[in-house]
This record gives sequence, structure tokens and C-alpha cells, in this order.
Amino acid sequence: MSGRLTFLLAAALILCALSLVKAQYQSRRLFIELERAQAQAGQLDLEWSQLQLDQSRLGLHARIDALARRDLNMVPVTPARTQYLTVDGQ
Amino acid sequence: MMRAATRAIARPAARTAAAKGVPFTASPVLAVQLPVWRSRLVLFALFAAFCALVGRALWLQGISTEFLQKQGESRYARTLELPATRGKITDRNGQVLASSLPVKAIWAIPEDVLQTPPEKLAALAGLLGMSDADLRGKLDSDRSFVYLKRQVEQETADKIAKLGIDGIDTRREYKRYYPEAEVMAHVVGFTSVEDVGQDGMELAQQKTLAGSIGSRRVIKDRMGHIVEDIEAVREPHDGKDLVLSIDSKIQYIAYTKLKEAVEKNQAKAGAIVVLDVKTGEVLALANLPSYDPNNRAVLSGAQLRNRVMTDTFEPGSTLKPFTVALALDTHRVTPETTFQTAPGQMYIGPALIHDAEARGVLSVAEIIKYSSNIGTSKIALSMPAQEMWDMFTDVGFGQQPKFGFPGAVAGRVRPYKSWRPIEQATMSYGQGIAVSLIQLARAYMIFARDGDEIPLSFQRVDTPPIGQRVISEKTAREVRAMLETVASPGGTAPKAQVPGYRVGGKTGTAYKVVNGGYALPHRYIASFCGFAPVSDPRLIIAVMVDEPTGPVHFGGDVAAPVFADVAANALRSMNVTPDSSVTNIIIPAGGAAEGM
Repeated sequence: MSGRLTFLLAAALILCALSLVKAQYQSRRLFIELERAQAQAGQLDLEWSQLQLDQSRLGLHARIDALARRDLNMVPVTPARTQYLTVDGQ
Repeated sequence: MMRAATRAIARPAARTAAAKGVPFTASPVLAVQLPVWRSRLVLFALFAAFCALVGRALWLQGISTEFLQKQGESRYARTLELPATRGKITDRNGQVLASSLPVKAIWAIPEDVLQTPPEKLAALAGLLGMSDADLRGKLDSDRSFVYLKRQVEQETADKIAKLGIDGIDTRREYKRYYPEAEVMAHVVGFTSVEDVGQDGMELAQQKTLAGSIGSRRVIKDRMGHIVEDIEAVREPHDGKDLVLSIDSKIQYIAYTKLKEAVEKNQAKAGAIVVLDVKTGEVLALANLPSYDPNNRAVLSGAQLRNRVMTDTFEPGSTLKPFTVALALDTHRVTPETTFQTAPGQMYIGPALIHDAEARGVLSVAEIIKYSSNIGTSKIALSMPAQEMWDMFTDVGFGQQPKFGFPGAVAGRVRPYKSWRPIEQATMSYGQGIAVSLIQLARAYMIFARDGDEIPLSFQRVDTPPIGQRVISEKTAREVRAMLETVASPGGTAPKAQVPGYRVGGKTGTAYKVVNGGYALPHRYIASFCGFAPVSDPRLIIAVMVDEPTGPVHFGGDVAAPVFADVAANALRSMNVTPDSSVTNIIIPAGGAAEGM
């Protein structure tokens, strides 16, 4: 009787030990995955900053002004050539 | 000796005993009576050894455990620094004005690097953009750590890493990029190579923009992978983004128009500031000469100078409306009250003041319209000095500005007790008093805003602040009407007219003060401060052009056109409804001659 109990407890102990090993392994694996995801988030953040900066650079008023005048032959609008409409349609 | 002897005797005896069939337990050898102290000795020795073991275990586990754990940790645990990014600066519409991106600082251990073959060093010098000799000069040092170049872009750093030179390493750092370059330079400012604000809003808001770096302790495995955290992570905090009140579109308009004017009039410098009347926000602030904050290799003091904030000048006639407003507000005059300004010059004590043109009897409204020094002086001399001083102080002249911009100056208004009558007279038309351009623009709030003043802000304001009343609403409206006549075909600044909008403002042309006296030959500062549209003012624009050396130097000819250009474009970009049906403006050939 006591021998069987010992055997059962030993088996349970081994199972526990193995599951501990597995849990530890899992946790490390997940941790590395988390690390990787965080690094990726950082990288994307960086890219976003870069793109924002590019957008600012490309959207510079000086650049748009020059392009509109030179390439598109546009001129600034003046009130003399503007038809103003009011809400009540006068 | 004893034992050996016993054994020598016992062995043959045992053999003989076994051979004789004597049972082991009855062996005569066992019957030998050894002295008790011998077994005690053995027992004691064993016990002592055991005690030593326990002691050692206690020592390791209990007393020196911390030290040992530290030693162990230092062999597999690492502290990682978690970088924090400096906050972005954007304009009111979210367009990025300043942003930090990571770059690399290239550093070297000179001793190791000098052992690489010369052709590799030449390649390195090429990538770093310096000559071979320069590189060798840097490496020729006793130190074990030398920065070769800082703020190297990632691509170049990768190429350098590919060369595989021993003793070269990189360190992550940040570089600040300013896409708007010289257009926005004086508002945004710049940071040092260490990412610390040096000027402008970068300096003013250093605390909120700068993040705080974090750190974490981790265990790394043999391969260098992070295995787990051993302490709570100290999170890095990125700097907060800063939203400025600046509208980059209006800023661009202001900068380019000012630049055109400075070049056309061959002026030394220029400054412009645009304020939002409803919220007190600074929509644009530009200075010339300017600089590119991305490339500050050569910088002069003149380029760095923020003339809107840190320079004071004698405002000249732009101050006349305040004198008139005070007289109106205290019911000493009405817009129709008349003053004799003939014959165009007047003695106050021994000093002579004069108008640009003798005009005879002028009403208060006309005094503003034609910018008469004599008329303004007569009005001023009818009032006590203290009231004038209070007025100047209430609108912020001579007071330290509160808008948190580095280097903003208070200007100078001398205490009224020391005013002589001639000084009171000249001060009424803006001489003998020093203000900065932003103070002047802010002071015009009382006319543009129906008599109250609000604080200025360089950051976006979402709820309009509550004003502090300086003059009555009636006075403000009366002065506004007078200022509109200035920018009319008969006034001193017809060139300030804007098609489609009614505008008002005042010109100023002042002698430049150098070393406490007027510079000779006279050098001028032409200025214009105005608002638009008059029916419901939205913008205040103040322009200052320093030392125009072209054929004209009057505020109405030099500064007013800049005002008109900026107002027209800014109002249109803000979708302000036109309040005038006049779409083609008339600028008379002569216009009214302008006082100082």
C-alpha cells in the first residue's frame, strides 16, 4: 500500500517537474516573441516619424508654390477674379 | 605505529581464526580493547569537518549571498538603456516642424583602429566625409575613446559597419530634423547635438519635449538573446509632442513677403508677427536674415537674432493711436475736436518738433489720418504724465512679457515722474520709448478687440481667453475707424489696402538709436501695425523693416505693402468673409506725406 502511494507521488512529482520545464520554456519563447514584437513596434514608430517628416517636406508651402507656378502655370487667386456667394444666394 | 603493529599481529591471527572455523563475531581481534579517546578523536574530527561544512554553507548562503549573487548576475545579467524620443513640434494643423530620428555616433578605440590597413582607413575617411589626414589626426590620441563623427545617418553607419574595422563602434543618438528650415527657424529654434533645446520653443519647452530614458535589467543567454527581466522595467517616457499656434501656411506667406520687401528695399533686416485677434495665438513670426537649423555650420549673430521678441526699437507714429485713445477714453476730446497744427512746427521749451507737412486745423481723426506730430503732442500735453504712463503700462510696454519665450524683452518706458514736457510730447508719437515688435502687435489688441487685452500664446489655444479691459468699447471703435482712414487713398498708408477687405493700421518711421543717440546720417526703421478686417478684426499684423536703403524709407511705402500682401493671403487662407465690395484698390500717386 505504502509502496504504491510512493510510486504515485513520485509519478506526480515527475509530471509536475516536466510541466514546470515546459512552462518555463513557454514563457521564454513568449518573452522572445514579445521582444520581437516590441522591436517591430519601435521600428514602425520610427518609420511613421520618417514618413511624417517626408510628408512635411513634400508638403512644404514653398515647394507647392514653386511647383504650381512653374509646372502648372498657376497664379494666385485675387478678389477681383473671385465670385463670392452668400448663404441666402444673393 | 601502534595501529600498524596491531594490524601486523591481527592479520595472521584472523586468518588463523577463520581457518579454525571461529565465527567472525567471536574473533579475538574484536575483543581487543582500544582506548576510548581514539574513537572520540575520530568522532570529534568528523564533527569538526561537518561544522566547517555548515559554517561554509552559512557563509555562502547567508552572509555573503548578496555579493555572490551580484557576481553571478554580472556574468549573465545586463542593464539595457531604453531610449526616449524627443517630442515632435507641429504647427496648429499637425504639420511636423521638428522631429527626431535616430542616427549613429561613430566612435573609435584609436589603438585598435590604427592597426588596420591604410586602404580601409581611406575608405572610412571617405564615408565620414573627411580627409585622410583629418581622420588620422583624430585617431592620433592617447585616449581610448574618440568620437570620429556624430549624427551620422543610418545608411552611412551601415556602410561603415560593413568595412569591418576593428575598434570602430557606433552609439545610438538622435538628430533633429526641421523640414521648414529657415522659414520657421526663429519660432521653433534648434537643439544641440545632445538633443537639448538651445533656442526658440525648443528651449522654452525643453522640459516637456525631452523624454526620460528608461532602463531594464535582463538575463541574456549565451547567444545574447534576452531571456527574462529580473527587475521591474523602468519604462522610458517619450517627450510630449508640442502643438504650436503657428499656421505654417500663414508663416510661409509672412516669411516670403517679408523677404521680398527686405530685398526690394535693400534693408538690413526685417521682422513680422501675425496674431489671431480672437485667441491671442501667434499665427506667424518671421525674421530676416534667417538661418537653416538643419545646417548650422556657419551662423552669425544677426541670423540668430529674433527681432520680433528680443529687439526693441522706437516705434514712432505707430504709438499715436494710444495717446489718442487715452484722450478719447477720458473724454478730454472727441474725434471731432480740432487742433491747430499750423505752421507745421512747434516749440516745446527750447525743443522744436515738426510735421512732415503743415496742414492747419485738424480734427483728432485727421491727426491720426495724416499722422501729425504736433496734433498728437498737443493732445498729450493736455493729459497728466501718469495717465499716459498707466496707459503704456496697461498695454504691456515696458513690462516683461509673460508668454514664455526665451529672450523676450520688456522694452523701456521711463517712470513718468522724470518726464519733461518735451519728452511727454515725443513719447506720444513714439520717440523716447522702446518696445519690441510683439509688444506693439499685442498692444493693438485693444483696438482690434473692442478695448480689452488677452495674453498671447505660442501654443494652440482651444478656448479663447477672457480679456482684461483697458479702454471702453466705444473708444476702441472710434480709434478703429480712424485707423481705417490711414489705410485709405488719402491717408499715410494707402498701400496697406487689401482688395475685398477693410483694413486699419498705423505707419511708423523712426530714427534708429545707436549708442543712446540718433544715428547720423539718419538711419530708419519703417514699421506698420494693423488689423483686418475692420468690421470684425481677425488678424493683427505688425511689420518692421530695419534700415531700408532704397529710394523710400517711410513705413507707408516699405512696411505697409508687406502688411497688405500678408493680410490678403492670410485672410483668404483662413476663409474670412470679405467685408468690402472694393476689389480693385486705388493708390494715389502722391499719398499723404508721413510724419515720423
